Amino acid sequence: MSLVSLDKVHKYYGDNHVLKGVDLKIEAGEVVSIIGRSGSGKSTLLRCMNGLEQYQKGGVIVDNQSVEDDEYKLRLLSRSVGMVFQSFNLFPHMTVGQNVMLATKLVLKKSPSESKKLAEELLEKVGLSDKFSAYPGNLSGGQQQRVAIARSLAMSPKVLLCDEITSALDPELVGEVLKVLEQLKAEGMTLILVTHEMNFARDVGDRVVFMNQGKVWETGASDEIFANPQTEELKSFLAAVR
Amino acid sequence: MMQFTDWDILRNLLLAARWTILLSLLAFIGGGLFGLLLTILRSMRNTLITRLIQGYVEVFQGIPLLMQLFLTFFGFSLIGFEVDAWTAAVISLTLFSSAFFHDIWRGCIEALPKGQWEACRTLGLSYLQTMRYVIVPQAMRMSIAPTVGFSVQIVKGTALASVIGFVELTKAGTMINNAVFQPFKVFAFVALLYFLICFPLSLLARYLEKKNHVAR
Ligand SMILES: Nc1ncnc2c1ncn2[C@@H]1O[C@H](COP(=O)(O)OP(=O)(O)OP(=O)(O)O)[C@@H](O)[C@H]1O
Ligand SMILES: [Mg+2]
Repeated sequence: MSLVSLDKVHKYYGDNHVLKGVDLKIEAGEVVSIIGRSGSGKSTLLRCMNGLEQYQKGGVIVDNQSVEDDEYKLRLLSRSVGMVFQSFNLFPHMTVGQNVMLATKLVLKKSPSESKKLAEELLEKVGLSDKFSAYPGNLSGGQQQRVAIARSLAMSPKVLLCDEITSALDPELVGEVLKVLEQLKAEGMTLILVTHEMNFARDVGDRVVFMNQGKVWETGASDEIFANPQTEELKSFLAAVR
Repeated sequence: MMQFTDWDILRNLLLAARWTILLSLLAFIGGGLFGLLLTILRSMRNTLITRLIQGYVEVFQGIPLLMQLFLTFFGFSLIGFEVDAWTAAVISLTLFSSAFFHDIWRGCIEALPKGQWEACRTLGLSYLQTMRYVIVPQAMRMSIAPTVGFSVQIVKGTALASVIGFVELTKAGTMINNAVFQPFKVFAFVALLYFLICFPLSLLARYLEKKNHVAR
């Protein structure tokens, strides 16, 4: 059984048919980049995998749990699926440490000392052990995004969804975030990345999914996709972003 | 005829100002508590409750406070309760401020970025946990300045209670003027006292707003 499995998923925003029958399977340990034009449904697809958006037809199964519109089920699902956002979405009134510990205390019911230990380990892992007591507002974008990654990892998810997590960063800060992702890949974490960084998609992604007109238009191993695109649409997309 | 010195005028006005301050405080506390209750009820996201509260807010924001005072004062006697001006003024100002407080606080909650809710959902926090640990603390911080700012409106609103015969600062001014026939002097004193009550509140609100700006 694949870790993530989408079966003919259809999603509408009112009359806007955004996902038109998406089939996609992602195995544990895979790093998959999702690329495509603006408005092709990349974010929507990602958000259907953790229940932030409801779909109208088809099925989504993640870590053997069906993703449905049900508060309780979605809360259970949140232990399997982490998400990092373009805009970080850190809690500005809490310190970095509190951000990372909030859900481990409230949701995983870990003791304060256990939570603290875990938070320290994770912050060290993302290179921010000295920022435990800092407030997000005093950190650079790259640092904030690394805190957000640590906060997601604290729930020990099986798969991490990343929606353009470097797009809001100054170019010189992109590298430090990508480095963390590479490190996670090396540890065997399953990553699904919506990205505009074609270089990163090629170098780090095992597989690329090209979304077009609400469908998985073309998919394949990263080097294959970039060296040898099959469809006209992907060729013109790659030509445009290069 | 008795002679009023300036000090007599001021002393009598100061005595009456106590009632303005007390009425404002009661309205602030009563309105705050009731507005809080409305905000909690509304956060339960029940369509009927939300509609009812919306209607309540529209009514109390859409009718001049003076009319609300009249309706409370005369309405009670219509249904057989004799309420004094004091009670009518407290009830009226409480209802009036609860509608505004609720609206201010709801606005602060809704002003928080959607991403805060989404981050909580992806971390598996329940609705109540999200409210308690993430939304309310931020909304509260944001609401302090406008809440203090609105208290100035309450103080000024108490002046209207004079029309139903409640002797506070404005009414006292009118009464004293009837004795001394020096309207400009008397009402200048009245205005000065209102200003002395309201100005510190405005300053506080502005200070809190600035502080909040720096903190974000
Ligand atoms: N909350 C929403 N309500 C209505 N329509 C939406 C909403 N979110 C997205 N859409 C629409 O759905 C379509 C797909 O949007 P989506 O955000 O998934 O695209 P995307 O591929 O992530 O684009 P981008 O690269 O710009 O982020 C677009 O036409 C968009 O206008
Ligand atoms: Mg997007």
